[in-house]
Amino acid sequence: MVELLQNLVDGLGRGSIYALLALGVAVVFGVMHLLNFAHGEMITVSGYATFWALDAGWSWYLTVPLILVVAVLTSLVIERVAFSRVRGADQFTLLLTSFGVHFVVFAIFLLYVSASVKTFPRPGWVTNTYAVGSLRIEVFDTVVIAVTLLTLVGTSMVLQRTTFGLSLRAAAADFDTARLMGIRSDSVIRGAFALSGLLAGIASVFWLMRAGSTVPSAGIDPMLKGVLAALIGGLGSLRGAVLGGFALGMAEVVLRSRLPDSVASLTEGVVFLLIALLFIFRPQGLVSVDHAERV
Amino acid sequence: MFPDLRRDVFVPVAAGLVLFGLFVGAGLFYQGALGGQERLVTFALIDAVLVLGLQVYVGNTGILSFGHMGFGAVAGYAFALMAIDPVEKAKRVSDAPFGLTDVHLGPWVGLAVAVAVVLVVGAVVGIGLARSGAESGAVSATVITLALLFVTHEVARNWPDLTGGDRAGLSFRIGGALDSRTPLYLALLGSILVALLYARSRGGRMAQAAREDDLAARAMGVNPLVQQMVALLVSVSVVSVGAGLRVYEKGSILPSDFFFNLTLVTLVMLIVGGRRSVTGALLGVAVITAGRELARRMGQDGFELFGLGLDDAPLDWIFRENLKTVFLGVAMLGFMVWRPDGLLDDWDLDRWLHARLQRWRGRDAAVPAVPGVVSPDDDDVLVVEAATVAFGGFRALDGAGLEVGRHEVLGVIGPNGAGKTTLLNVVTGLVGADSGRVALGGTDLSGAPSHRIARSGLVRTFQNLRLFGSLTVRENVEVSALVASSSRRHRPPPDVDGLLVAAGLWDVRFRRARELDYGTSRRLELARAAAMSPSFLLLDEPTSGMSDAESEAMVDQVRRMAGLVGAGVVVIDHDLNFITGICDRVTCLDAGQVIATGTPDEVQAHPAVRAAYLGTSGGG
Repeated sequence: MVELLQNLVDGLGRGSIYALLALGVAVVFGVMHLLNFAHGEMITVSGYATFWALDAGWSWYLTVPLILVVAVLTSLVIERVAFSRVRGADQFTLLLTSFGVHFVVFAIFLLYVSASVKTFPRPGWVTNTYAVGSLRIEVFDTVVIAVTLLTLVGTSMVLQRTTFGLSLRAAAADFDTARLMGIRSDSVIRGAFALSGLLAGIASVFWLMRAGSTVPSAGIDPMLKGVLAALIGGLGSLRGAVLGGFALGMAEVVLRSRLPDSVASLTEGVVFLLIALLFIFRPQGLVSVDHAERV
Repeated sequence: MFPDLRRDVFVPVAAGLVLFGLFVGAGLFYQGALGGQERLVTFALIDAVLVLGLQVYVGNTGILSFGHMGFGAVAGYAFALMAIDPVEKAKRVSDAPFGLTDVHLGPWVGLAVAVAVVLVVGAVVGIGLARSGAESGAVSATVITLALLFVTHEVARNWPDLTGGDRAGLSFRIGGALDSRTPLYLALLGSILVALLYARSRGGRMAQAAREDDLAARAMGVNPLVQQMVALLVSVSVVSVGAGLRVYEKGSILPSDFFFNLTLVTLVMLIVGGRRSVTGALLGVAVITAGRELARRMGQDGFELFGLGLDDAPLDWIFRENLKTVFLGVAMLGFMVWRPDGLLDDWDLDRWLHARLQRWRGRDAAVPAVPGVVSPDDDDVLVVEAATVAFGGFRALDGAGLEVGRHEVLGVIGPNGAGKTTLLNVVTGLVGADSGRVALGGTDLSGAPSHRIARSGLVRTFQNLRLFGSLTVRENVEVSALVASSSRRHRPPPDVDGLLVAAGLWDVRFRRARELDYGTSRRLELARAAAMSPSFLLLDEPTSGMSDAESEAMVDQVRRMAGLVGAGVVVIDHDLNFITGICDRVTCLDAGQVIATGTPDEVQAHPAVRAAYLGTSGGG
């Protein structure tokens, strides 16, 4: 029982970051039907920004806003340079364009920084824990969960209450009709990328605080988690993406603690296998969105 | 297996030999005359095999796969475990499961075993892809292939008893085990021929049709899932041969050998050359290999490489180590943004050669004769009874039915939203009915999949044109004729050229379908449906968007096509002139129910029909 509760807490902590990443992926998918394989690049770029800032003697308190700004800017620049040129292209082109973006960012850091790991000091409190009954809870997890919940509530307010949120949801439901109703596709798409970048920025603050290092390929892992979580939840559904993020985090934590030792190192593999099985039996994801095609 | 022996076998084999000669010749020229590295050419040969394997699947089905190097990893390890000497193997995996440590087969038997293992894995993954509803450009299919890549990598890293783990891996002996290039040449020639012949085979053509339009392919009797499975199995076999040879040449295998890097390199090669072309795949391998090597050396030496004595100090920020990685990334992104179809798009040497040969022999000068009228072979009746379909709370069909014979033309009219297209969708299996029955002759077709319904003889056209866009006009018609030649054997085989002439498409037969104007596209859809030798042609608004003169011409067109294949006709339309001009009988639908059936004049005079169209109650 205690172990189960412990798993639950750990899973929530891990799942929170995935949920933020997945929500960012889903927002962009909604307006462009683009599954963004470059979503992790916000973390790569802000990772190096963090390295330089801390190296130059900035404190973490100053670095956090820097990370958010860098992530949003990165997202907007990537949209401008690459994705705005392939709007409306087929899936094949969209997928490989986003993959190409990842590849170019990776190569740029490889070329101009180095292939080796850059480490930076983590905030002191990241590893602190406190006890509730016989549960050991990380301070870090608590902060992550709290901030994530606030972010989700904030995002949902923006989506429900503002004109931008309404246009974004309308565009996600049916892009062509939304355009006919006078919604400006340019600003909605740019807004979506900015929002997606901000969410990735918040996730990357946590990701970097925990990792304490970065490499040119740092974006792959968070990208995969975000993309998979969005798919688990059901592409096109924002709520599904958040759900998918928590589900993925929970699954990882539970599998890692419950699998027999001999296969525990295969956790990632098992998770991928489970996801593949999910797609096979429920290709539309947990939350299904109707995409009936008119013939 | 091949519709036309000369075009689909002899010419491709000749073209394959030429391509092989050019590719190998370029490699030998580079290493001989230019004094290039042998190793670079050797790996280009292996990369070519891998890329050709990838092309068979990605090019013909249109599904992006990140997983092929995952299959490569499976093949590589299977090969290594079979072929490495037990003494060497015992140093790394002394206690391999299934007693694999003691197995020792020769390299060629080992390679065959590797292919067999991968075929089994491929069949399982293929079923998964089919279950996920894979279709051209489907995102979930691509993610499944990505998951496969990661699963194989994780397993390879974390099962050291089998794979030697992350650091050690498995190895033959230091410095590579392959002493001669002959196996590489043979494998390359084999892969070129397999890729070309598959693309020209029945299965390849059907897969390409499904790539262009999944739904239309089903409606022409193609089962995309079967064709994608075949493509996957052919494709992974070629990839496993390439992977085995790569391991043999390197003399060792590590988990990272068949992971992200190789996946990216092979994908860039494929898309730069042109994923739909075998020639393009080879060109891509050559271009990217050369470009990478150039980038690598410029990264080291800058302009000195060319002995130009140019000052490259201003470009120091570019000439750095790892420039080759930037080159790959920029190539991928640049091509996706500016030329997503690659250098060659779908141009292929064998097709070009064949067209040249035809012209030289003067074969394309004579216009073939229009075939004679065929009479229906049976008196089967198409019956729809009490079909009901609800979308949420909206009843699109509410007990509608119809009955039509092989010698008849039945029109279906009704106001917008009356359920006409839904009725056609139910008949052709695109929409499942909640209740009701569809039968042709004595055969019950209710709930059957679209492709089976099409093969049974109910073939449709679409309201919003659905042609196989990047296939030529003739290829569009040929796909249906291919399906007909196996599933409609009791009918006289469709005469593709005759149908093209009859439909007025002879002069544009080599044009791509997507380049046609609207009216011509409509005629092509009709000809494509007719080439199935159907029992019934089901036409969804064949005159929509046409002028009066054009729709008048469509009356003759429909009659003629139906006559050539001896099919009954069910036609939906709004244009009353067209309907009265062509139909023997007319059924009027309103709100999902049949409100009148009879001759065109009777139905037009029917009070309920007038009410439905004019919106008055009680016959105005």
